[in-house]
Parts: sequence; structure tokens; C-alpha cells
Amino acid sequence: MSVASAERKSKKKGGGLSGLLRKEKEPVTEEELLRKEVITPDDVHRLSGSMENYLCPPEANIYGIDFTRFKLRDMDSQTVLFEVAKPPVPEGGEEFDSDDMDPNAGRFVRYQFTPEFLKLKTVGATVEFVVGEQPVNKFRMIEKHYFKDKMLKCFDFEFGFCIPHSRNTVEHIYEFPQLDADEIREMIESPYETRSDSFYFVEDKLIMHNKADYAYNGGT
Amino acid sequence: MKQKEKEVRLGLDNAGKTTILKKFNGEDIDTISPTLGFNIKTLEHRGYKLNIWDVGGQKSLRSYWRNYFESTDGLIWVRLAGATLLVFANKQDLPGAGLDLDEITTHHWLIQGCSAVTGENLLEGIDWIIDDIASRIFTMD
Repeated sequence: MSVASAERKSKKKGGGLSGLLRKEKEPVTEEELLRKEVITPDDVHRLSGSMENYLCPPEANIYGIDFTRFKLRDMDSQTVLFEVAKPPVPEGGEEFDSDDMDPNAGRFVRYQFTPEFLKLKTVGATVEFVVGEQPVNKFRMIEKHYFKDKMLKCFDFEFGFCIPHSRNTVEHIYEFPQLDADEIREMIESPYETRSDSFYFVEDKLIMHNKADYAYNGGT
Repeated sequence: MKQKEKEVRLGLDNAGKTTILKKFNGEDIDTISPTLGFNIKTLEHRGYKLNIWDVGGQKSLRSYWRNYFESTDGLIWVRLAGATLLVFANKQDLPGAGLDLDEITTHHWLIQGCSAVTGENLLEGIDWIIDDIASRIFTMD
């Protein structure tokens, strides 16, 4: 069944010659994508660096998808490294009542870690999100992590269907990218030059873009 | 390229699906609320990429279960065409835990007695489903 479904998937994406050509597609720039009306998963896979801008406005999220919790744990020591949760909005209350609020607040997170963090081997990253009143089909995340121009890690995960009014969690348990001693030193010495872009798609259309940057010089 | 497996676990509410998932992943099981959507775990085990969907079992959610069957290789708890079936028979110590699976002849299946709280037999169950899915895939190759 797995083999059959894999074949079906590759056909959908255009197997054979067109599939081969697809792999050789030119990289795309941020400027080119900013001019596009609809941004697809294929588009962001062709990006070769972290983004200066957001590739969609906050209003593109018409599904009421909201990230409410993030947790990171070290699988080897079974300890929670950190956990942040969004406080619930009070009944009938407005989340933000100020007009001069940064419209990108909530789309950007800055993480400050100690150098020890880069020695972790296997981590589990959990996100929790809620979904609004309409069902969400083919929900997909692509998250690209870079140090300067080098891609460290790319997650591409399809959540699929999300139930209306649901609260969902996803934990990705993965091995930390292998870094050599020079790279580790450079990352520690270059705070916030490690960056990530998280792109979220519904039915292959970009609906959310979140960014983060990272420093590993805490406590030094 | 590594094989990717998708496994969906469904069952009536309060059966212990999330507790099994959390125990298997070494997480705290003291405070678990009813699942009002899904909990997904993606992990690597014995060279396979395993994606586990734990979908809430409350009555109001059951009409959405069908949305989670597509390209599923293993199903835990309820039967599904073409998929290996693993039943974690949790809460074996409680009355009324009986199941009649003998009538299922079209699928591989296993009833694995377990305890979500102590973790007993959880790994054995997961190893079985991975072996079974793998044997079917290699036969097809």
C-alpha cells in the first residue's frame, strides 16, 4: 500500500520527464515571489536563503489558525528545554486593542540559547495550534533553517485535514544537524545569523509566514 | 531514501490512545486532557520514518475520522481496508475489555495486551506493526 500510494503521489506532481525537469528548476528570489499572487510549496522549496520580508500578510490566514504553544525537549535526557504558551484570550476580550501595534507581532520570535544547545543530539519540537470554524484541508508546513546562507535543515510536513474548532499538537522528533567544531564556533560567535522561515499552506496556497532567529552565546 | 510510514490510531474516547503515544515517547502521562483534534508524532525508529496520528475519539469528532485514512499503512484500534491492524488492548485489567477480531481474515492483525501507564508491551506492539508493514512492502517490491 505504501508503494502504491507513493506512486500515486509522484504522478500527481507530474512524474516522468516533467518530474525530472521540475528538479532542475532555477532557484527563485524573494523579490520574484513577492510579486506573485499565490505562493506554492514548490516556490518556497526553490528559495535559497532566509527571507527579509514576509511573503504574505497576516490577513492571508483566513482559517483562524493560531499557534498556542511551543515546546522543545531533549530526547536523550528526557528533559524539557523550554516551553512557551500563549495565554488564552479572555471571554469577549480583544487580543490587541492598540492600533499602533506592530502588525508583525506574533510572526517573529527571537531565541537565545547557550552554546550547550548545539551539543544536543536528538530533540523533540512540539507545536500546538487551534483551528477556526471552518475545516482546513491539506494543511502543510515547510520550515527552512539557515546559518548565514547555508541550509541546516528543511522540514516539509503535511498535517492534512484539520477538524473545525480543533486544538492539535505535532511533535517532530529529529536528530540535530551534524555540525563540525568550526561551524559550531562560528554559530556561537554570530548571534542571530541563524534564522528560520516557517511557511504554512492550505491546499498549496501560502497562508502564514513566521520567522525566527537564534543566538547561541547565552551565558558566555 | 527511507521508507515513510503513516499510522493512524483511532478509538473511543478515554481508551488511552494519547497516553500510549506519550508513554512510547517518554513523556509525562500524569495530566492528559481529552484530545480535541489530533496529536501527531513524527519519529525515526529502526531506520523508518514513522508518522503517528492520534485522533480524538469523542462522538463529535468521529465523523471526521475518515479524513485521516488516506495513504495510511497501519491502523491502530479499528479496522481499515488494506492496512495492518494492531490493537493495543489497553486497560486489560478492567471488565468489558473483550474484542472479537477472529472475524477479520482480510488483514494482518495482532492484539497486544499492554499498559499505557507502565509502558509494558508498547514497544513490542510498534515493532510488530513495523515488521509487518515492512514485509508487505518488500514483498511488493
